[in-house]
Amino acid sequence: MNNTMSPFKRLAASLALLALAANVSYAEETDGTVKVGVLHSLSGTMAISETSLRDILLFTFDEINANGGVLGKRIEPVVVDGASDWPLFAEKAEQLLAKDKVAATFGCWTSVSRKSVLPVYEKYNGLLFYPVQYEGEELSPNIFYTAEAVGQQAIPAVDFLLEEGIKKFYLIGTDYVYPQTTNLVLLEYLLSKGIPIENIGGGLRKDAKGEVISAGKYTPFSHSDYQQIVSEIKDFAASGDAAVLNTVNGDSNVSFFKEIAASGLTADDCPIVSYSLSEDEFRALPTKDLVGHLGCWTYFMSLDTPANKKFIKNWEKWLIKTKASGVQKSDRVTCSPMVLSYNGVYLWKKAVEKAGTFEVEAVIKALESGISFDGPGGTVTTQKNHHLTKNVFIGEILEDGQFDILESFDDVYGEPFLKGTFK
Amino acid sequence: MNIFDTKKELSGFVLAGFILMGLLPLSNTIVPEDSIFHVAGYQLSLWGKYITYAVLAMSLNLLWGYTGLLCLCQSLFFALGGYAFGMYLMLQVGVDPVYNTALPDFMDFLGYSELPGYWKPFKNPVFTMLAVMAVPGLVAFVFGFLAFQSRIKGVYFSILTQALTYAVCLLFFQNKFTLLWVDFTFGGNNGFTDFKKILGANINDASTTRWLFIGSTAFMLIVYALISIMLKTKFGKVQQAIRDSENRVRFSGYSTTTYKLFIFVLSGVIAGIAGAFYVPQVGIINPGEMTAAKSLDVVVWVALGGRGTKFGPILGAIVVSMLKSYATRAFPDSWLIILGAIFILVVLFMPNGLVGLPKQLAPWINRIRGKERRANTRKTVTAP
Amino acid sequence: MKKTLLICLHFLLVPLVYSDGDSSSRKMLEELALGRVDSVDDHLNDLVETGDPFIKVFVDAWRVGEIYEYELENAAKVILHRVSEQFELLTSGEALDVPEGREKYLKKSRASRSLRKDLSRITDTIDLASPDLDTRINAALKLGQGQNKDYLPSLRARFERETNEKAKRAFEEAIMISLLKNAEKPEERLGAVVRLGELASLKGRDLVIKIRNKNEIDGDPKLFAAARNSVLKIQKRQSIVENVGSFFRGLSTGSVLLIVAFGLAITFGLMGIINMAHGEFIAIGGYTCYVVQNVFESTFGIQSSVFQWFFWVSLPISFLVAAVIGLVFEKGFIRFLYRRPLESLLATWGLSMVMRQTFRLVFGAANVSVETPSVLNGTSTFGLVSMSDTRLFIVVFAGFVILITWLLLSKTNLGLYIRAVMQNRNMASSLGIPVARVNSLTFAFGCGLASLAGATLSLVSNVGPSMGQTYIVDSFMVVVAGGLGNLIGAGISALGIGVTDQFLQPLLGPVMGKIVVLFAIILFLQWKPGGLFPTKSRSLDD
Repeated sequence: MNNTMSPFKRLAASLALLALAANVSYAEETDGTVKVGVLHSLSGTMAISETSLRDILLFTFDEINANGGVLGKRIEPVVVDGASDWPLFAEKAEQLLAKDKVAATFGCWTSVSRKSVLPVYEKYNGLLFYPVQYEGEELSPNIFYTAEAVGQQAIPAVDFLLEEGIKKFYLIGTDYVYPQTTNLVLLEYLLSKGIPIENIGGGLRKDAKGEVISAGKYTPFSHSDYQQIVSEIKDFAASGDAAVLNTVNGDSNVSFFKEIAASGLTADDCPIVSYSLSEDEFRALPTKDLVGHLGCWTYFMSLDTPANKKFIKNWEKWLIKTKASGVQKSDRVTCSPMVLSYNGVYLWKKAVEKAGTFEVEAVIKALESGISFDGPGGTVTTQKNHHLTKNVFIGEILEDGQFDILESFDDVYGEPFLKGTFK
Repeated sequence: MNIFDTKKELSGFVLAGFILMGLLPLSNTIVPEDSIFHVAGYQLSLWGKYITYAVLAMSLNLLWGYTGLLCLCQSLFFALGGYAFGMYLMLQVGVDPVYNTALPDFMDFLGYSELPGYWKPFKNPVFTMLAVMAVPGLVAFVFGFLAFQSRIKGVYFSILTQALTYAVCLLFFQNKFTLLWVDFTFGGNNGFTDFKKILGANINDASTTRWLFIGSTAFMLIVYALISIMLKTKFGKVQQAIRDSENRVRFSGYSTTTYKLFIFVLSGVIAGIAGAFYVPQVGIINPGEMTAAKSLDVVVWVALGGRGTKFGPILGAIVVSMLKSYATRAFPDSWLIILGAIFILVVLFMPNGLVGLPKQLAPWINRIRGKERRANTRKTVTAP
Repeated sequence: MKKTLLICLHFLLVPLVYSDGDSSSRKMLEELALGRVDSVDDHLNDLVETGDPFIKVFVDAWRVGEIYEYELENAAKVILHRVSEQFELLTSGEALDVPEGREKYLKKSRASRSLRKDLSRITDTIDLASPDLDTRINAALKLGQGQNKDYLPSLRARFERETNEKAKRAFEEAIMISLLKNAEKPEERLGAVVRLGELASLKGRDLVIKIRNKNEIDGDPKLFAAARNSVLKIQKRQSIVENVGSFFRGLSTGSVLLIVAFGLAITFGLMGIINMAHGEFIAIGGYTCYVVQNVFESTFGIQSSVFQWFFWVSLPISFLVAAVIGLVFEKGFIRFLYRRPLESLLATWGLSMVMRQTFRLVFGAANVSVETPSVLNGTSTFGLVSMSDTRLFIVVFAGFVILITWLLLSKTNLGLYIRAVMQNRNMASSLGIPVARVNSLTFAFGCGLASLAGATLSLVSNVGPSMGQTYIVDSFMVVVAGGLGNLIGAGISALGIGVTDQFLQPLLGPVMGKIVVLFAIILFLQWKPGGLFPTKSRSLDD
């Protein structure tokens, strides 16, 4: 080899080679399979939550394949790692759509990852199922939000607390769009229910015209020092009949609840409703500190229905025998985002079967026409506005990391645009 | 003055320009889609992204490779340029059918009823382009002035730049922040996404992708030429002298502070422009781009490609990014381990990076060849 | 120490109650749990009459699922209380074995939320008579803030009987707060407002402010004036309390920073390795804690008293584990990088990536949970402020770590070698110091300290693959601001940063507070480029 070959020549040569190599697809297309994408973070900060969704999706595909697949074709998952890196999410989405030509994608957790892939799905006219509770205020023709909208989680929980006689609400969250928007909606809702503004804790920010633009206390991602805030909550709750509405995200909750427990505040003094904590997160939390606090989701693992029991049994069986790499086998639970992922796959399957084709446009049309699936959390039905009608449950956290279901609301309509509707 | 070191470098430069700016975009349009010579649109925008990374690496190399300043806030300049251009793109979205407002969507969430004053000039593309250079330049100037004035160098400089990135990143993660009595908003964690138009063209059009690609490559070639020129001038010599022994340069009567400050600002501006090319091609900018980890990535590219060489940073950025693109798809579970192990091995066994590899291997290759030759000759001798 | 005393007291208290407890209250609780009560309200009133402190034990146990319903062989139902893996009959406190095969007759008993809420009110009134001063004070203030008229008589009765000065004050405060709402005559309310001002009652602040605002325009001018006066007095005291509180919290935040940064002060400050994998060594500590906890859980059972020792055992183990791993890495590749500090950054960054993903593959991507040992559950009060025992432990532990390091570096031969090698490797080598070994041991020691930090962090924070990433930038800032190579400097800068941060937080909020601290450090280093305690040297290093 000629060592003095100019660098640019080398670049040009390698570029040309790579451009050719890149054109060769990763896997051969065959008649018997249909590709679907799995787009979650398997590394980086969001891997804590998203890895479980990858696992449940692989389980769902195996379950469907074992029962004959979709339209007689086996589902072939294409798993990619978004690595909690948002431009990478967009890149991976484009790869899935343009190179792998997946029929549908299941993925994303954070709002920002969804926002980063949204234009890609609209550009390529793809189909994405999004399974995690979110702030609403969005409606893309190429995304199906199997997730809980604010009206299917935050508001029923507040209704429940009001019924229990709670008169003071402290709002706390991580500083990003989901908590901010949810808390603004909740603020409007609470005011419309006659809660005076001085009974809402956490602080309000107003703009020059005196209109409230932000309500609640916000901490950055991965914040770990909640001493000040907990002492503030303690004072706030001292007069009794107070509750905390918690939209703190992910791992900060550990520090938050450890500080709460250390301060001696119990769930009987001041219940905390956490919107981002499900059974899966409890694996990482000292549950004895959480006992008696509340959660609100559209599915709980403790649901005592035959469908749910069967679902959990199959999931546990699959965990034992699966050979998929990176799947943690022991100490696993199911939770709402996982079940909403599961439902998403089945809704897609039903829509494909109704449309008789994998064509995205026909599938979306079928989904919009209203498709029902009897999932582990009860029947879910797709709506014209790309959200789901589903049951909402309120549960109290038990010492074993499960929920004791206190109340359920049947067939709650999913409405993404709530801001400004409670005036 | 001859810019390039050798004739071969010149011909390589021209060839690369021809392939990157002509052949690849052409094969995207003219070559039919089912041909293996066809370059798909997404590949072009992917490569466009790599190329902006390459420019970012070059800008760091200017600082670290040639001046000896290991800067851990290069991604901050990159992101600031990206944000400035992103503001322009956000204002081009127009009235969104879903939100029914001419404001960027996040402002609607945040209860804004009109565009804040500091956003307004970004409607103008010329102003935006100036801002793309001026904002990172200004940040670099202020920080650099303070740091170089008090003779902060070496590790201290690296750690301080890291703190700067971290602080600004935290600032941008907030949905709103008040700085010097002005309320700023840049979309918080979600940043800017869902762009529609750029300079009047639809951002999703194939031709826009092509032009962005051509623009990025042209910019890369310009920066390459610029660095080549600089290395030939006295300025470049002083710069490298600072890297090798700053005190001696100072004792010789040069104001090293001025030199370093100039380089720092220049490098910030280049990174900023690269960021502006980056944002429309990936379609998102958020504070995640400013984290310390992203800056470390850039350092890794430069080190892997070859620090202090003209071509190394380009090679390093492209190779690592390609590896990442490939590995996150092929080994979603273990790609971090593979990549991390490569970094360790490169540091240990390839002190001069990829570019230095041929030279490093030369003795080995020669020995093997020599052995072969000897073996061959022996064979011929012993053969009956 | 007061805290340990309290804990002992607590242990003493529990058996005392079992043997001595009035069995009538236990009977009543059993009936309540079995749902054999006609009128819950009457029943609760009867329970209050007994004033048995056991009710509180029972309510806590009920909430966390330690109360079971059990059907005996003779089909009679009884309530069992599980105490460390063993069942006790609720009515008598006698131990009862649930024979094998009869587990299906055992059912967890659960109280409804409203019942539990009522019960917790009862326990509060019971606490008014508690022998423990703090419990008494807290119960009084809680009842006062509830502003429930029904409690006024019992508060007043207790106030008369109380002998302790501090408690008496708390009772009075509680009565006054309650009177703000429940006063029968306007003068009484006015008196309460004035008295609350004199007491500088923080708990009554919001309520007094409410009265002030309500009477500002066309209200009672006298009441308004009194309220305004009182609010000023309260606010004066509040600012003192807040400042003292912020100082203590700052101390604790600073101690966390100190513990986290101390390992780095050795590997980076002393040895000059830009150790980007420092955060992952912290994570090793957290995971060691988790593994030790699991081993203890499977060997001794989660309810046993031995289990509570897992945390203390895991501290030395985590140190050793990380030290050994650090030693291996040092021998493996870090020793080649002593002359190339900036490249050590790259290699350790690669190492950090490898380690993070390895954690994920071994322990799963989710965070893992580490229990807090029960000894550290609780709060201690110092005059005006209270601090959780976990935080207190961290402050003490940070002091301990400094002490050990200082002893090692200044009182041992190895310490002498370390200082010599760090000052000048070549010189030390030519004097016969085994440089290679000293380097390895120092690096291992630094990694061990990082891991200790991780083990302690498991008390206040989460344990997971990216836990180290949260602290890495802070750690570097602490070391640089303190001055490279100066451990005392690192300690002072950590505490300084912590205290500043906590003082800024109430003013600016957590995010802006942190940003301001970062900028302050950057500016501080412009002023003192070598940090707090720069290494003095006459050489011009290039």
